[in-house]
Amino acid sequence: MPESLLTSEMLRRLEQFQLLAARRAKSSAKGERRSRARGQSVEFADYRTYVQGDDFRYLDWNLYGRLERLFLKLYEEERELPVRMFLDASESMTFGTPRKFDFARQVAAALGYVALCGFDRVSVIPFPASPNDTQSDAGARSAQLAARVALRAVRGKKSGIQFFQNLNTLTAGGAATLNETLRRGALEARQSGLAVVLSDFLDPAGYESGLNALIGRGFQVDIVQILSPEELSPTTFGDLRLVDSENGAMQEVTFGRYRMKAYQQTVQNFIQRLREFCQARGINFFSVSSNMSLEDLLLKQLRKAEVWA
Amino acid sequence: MSFLAPAAFVFAAAIPVVILFYLLKRKRVVKLVSSTLLWQQFLAETQASAPFQKLRKNWLLILQILLLLLVVLALSRPYFAAKTQPAQLRVVILDASASMQATDETPSRFEKARAEALKWVDSLANNDQMVILQAGANTEVKQSATSEKAALRRALQACACSDGPTRLVAALRMAESLVRDQRGAEIHLFSDGAVPELTEFDNKGLPLVYHRIGKSSDNIGITALDVRANPEDAHQRAIYTSVANFSTNTVQTELELLLDDRLLETRPLSIPAGETSPQVFLAGQSSDGVFTLRLKGKDDLAVDNQASIVSLLPKPIKVLLVSRGNRLLEKALRSVANVELATSSDLTDPAIGFDFVVLDGVTPVVWPQVNVLAFHVVNTNWIPEVMHLDGPPIVDWRSTHPLLRYAGFDNVQVAESLGAKTPSWAVSLVDSPQAPLILAGELGRQRIIWVGFDVLESNWPLRVSFPIFIANAAEWLNPANAKGGQLLVKAGDAFRLMLLRVEKEAQMTLPGGQVKMLKLDPSANELVFAETYRQGIYRVRLGTNETTFCVDLLDAAESNIKPREELQLGKYSKIAATTRQRTNTELWRSIASLGLLVLLIEWWYYHRRTV
Repeated sequence: MPESLLTSEMLRRLEQFQLLAARRAKSSAKGERRSRARGQSVEFADYRTYVQGDDFRYLDWNLYGRLERLFLKLYEEERELPVRMFLDASESMTFGTPRKFDFARQVAAALGYVALCGFDRVSVIPFPASPNDTQSDAGARSAQLAARVALRAVRGKKSGIQFFQNLNTLTAGGAATLNETLRRGALEARQSGLAVVLSDFLDPAGYESGLNALIGRGFQVDIVQILSPEELSPTTFGDLRLVDSENGAMQEVTFGRYRMKAYQQTVQNFIQRLREFCQARGINFFSVSSNMSLEDLLLKQLRKAEVWA
Repeated sequence: MSFLAPAAFVFAAAIPVVILFYLLKRKRVVKLVSSTLLWQQFLAETQASAPFQKLRKNWLLILQILLLLLVVLALSRPYFAAKTQPAQLRVVILDASASMQATDETPSRFEKARAEALKWVDSLANNDQMVILQAGANTEVKQSATSEKAALRRALQACACSDGPTRLVAALRMAESLVRDQRGAEIHLFSDGAVPELTEFDNKGLPLVYHRIGKSSDNIGITALDVRANPEDAHQRAIYTSVANFSTNTVQTELELLLDDRLLETRPLSIPAGETSPQVFLAGQSSDGVFTLRLKGKDDLAVDNQASIVSLLPKPIKVLLVSRGNRLLEKALRSVANVELATSSDLTDPAIGFDFVVLDGVTPVVWPQVNVLAFHVVNTNWIPEVMHLDGPPIVDWRSTHPLLRYAGFDNVQVAESLGAKTPSWAVSLVDSPQAPLILAGELGRQRIIWVGFDVLESNWPLRVSFPIFIANAAEWLNPANAKGGQLLVKAGDAFRLMLLRVEKEAQMTLPGGQVKMLKLDPSANELVFAETYRQGIYRVRLGTNETTFCVDLLDAAESNIKPREELQLGKYSKIAATTRQRTNTELWRSIASLGLLVLLIEWWYYHRRTV
């Protein structure tokens, strides 16, 4: 577990960014995001004919002087953007050098920090909901639970340090429950917003129903798929009996260098299916290897895809 | 069903190897991975969903195609038609004479020749035919023309080397008759060339290929053997022998003389290269026995290092002279050594008990059943037609006949004689223009010499030839001699024994100790035994009589085992030894073996590349 998720240089550069949301914020809480709701702000939105009971303070007297009719000036209400990050903390994320989970936490930290700087509400939802009981230490377990609770709602740039610490406390384990987590997240959210899914998507149950639920709820979804270098091109050859880390399933396979291309093609097919699924639903999709440079993803790819600017 | 190459079943030994491969367990390495999801998809994708896939470069595929190609190649049975034109018929003559036993080739020349011949059998093209002749003392057709290789191989395996000399002419004649008018036919002679001169065989166009077998000529051998009474001391026997050195160095050796396995004398010999050393041994002998000469030391050919001869003590010849008085004839008979002469004026019984009877112008009451020397006697059983001749001039005589040895008829005149047409049983010895005057031959079990004239009606008794003729006749008519001469047989020649009585069977004891029962034809008057392939001492038992005879090589041409570079055929043509190796070498065995190897490599590669 790295001591600090992001370097100070990276944090400094991230502060310049602002999350871009294609949809207007629907949160009920005040924030810095433009929303469809009309309210008090400096941004002019529209005029409306005066009706009895309207606040005189919003009458446009200049217009009354020209037209001798009463119009009310409407301003956009600026609201916050709820950013929900679904962080895969299953056993499979603990593989790879560097670990996929570490990379996912770094991305989550970066996205979260940008959101916090933009006065947006950040909630990180690690799944599976409760990590398996590998941690016999009761203190560590309670710290884990506390961190998970604390991560459900974070606001303000000042909370950044605490946010990073809580992220650092998270551990991974257990079987992935991607669909279930996403569906519940969609149902639980009072307002839609930005949903970021950080996972390897190696869930036998698939991902389609979860993502559809988020889209249906009106979320703007960004996906970062994180695979380890070993998964992209394995380095173990021969007659293998592979054991699944999550469900313990055995798979016998005879693998040689000559089949490497075929395997890589399979992986690309898998990624491509996911990519096409996302493109059809307007989801931003990124597939990265856990040994990829973080700056390349954060400063180039996400910017290029206009996740932030 | 039968198999052309049953030896190929040896390849079945590869089956356990294949089984072993399958027994080997593939050990899988257990590995914990994040998820098997991708692997499941990988396996599902790589498994054949479509019947065809793109052909990829795969060493296993290449190896399998190579294997298949090799099998196809082997099945097509390729060969190198390098140096020979296709021959429709090949006649293989395998020299099975004594000299082929020489051990300068390992294990022997004969085995080498057989191996070479087998190679030629292998190289036989499918439609070609081959004949196998074994040339020893007799030529045997071991396999008539066939293209069936198994039969040819069997025939070659059945050939066996004998102790006899080579009678190559007979084999070549037979081969010549086989290849006559056959286009492209060839005669392949596998021999060391240690054969008598082939000058009588003259065929320039003979398609003979001579495969020379043999390397060196390190041999000394006994090439002649005879035993007689010592001319200087009648109580002793003289054994005449000659030992020839055919090697290229002077040889020091020892010659042993044994009588019935009892060592009598050992004589050191030093024979220069290429020389022959005549040796005479003198030995006392108290009873009939077998003298054996043995050369000590080792050389390439063992068979001629020993020779045996039967020596019978001389017995007096009992002769009955039936005459009305002929002092000249009586004197001539008495002068013959070892003769016990009885005289009579007439003959009234078959004269059994005498070795032979001399009839001098007396027609007997009862004709003798023993051998007869008849002067001026008419017996229509012998000669159906007799004519009378007055003063017949003697124009010719058969000087090669043993009876006329040293006996010429140069100045013999005959006043009056009987003349006879030569009957089938006899040969004419002395001829006048009208009819033969002296006949000799065997009639039934009887030897008969018929002289047409009374010796007193001629000047013959005054000539030197008369006592010589009488002495020759006494020797020829003596049944013991007639027998004794045949007690030494050259290997491969038939042994013949006159049967004095009708016998149903004979018991033959071979040199090795095996006993063979011979069935005899009751009408046969002699026993003929041709299976004298091995030299040594043979014993034949007829009723209570036992006769011993010896089979020896005694052939200088055989003992000279120097491999001949060329064979002289007739006066002018020579056949040089071929350097040609077997051709049309079939390759399918090698290819099939290679295929097996490829199979093993394929397996090895399959297992190696997965690691």
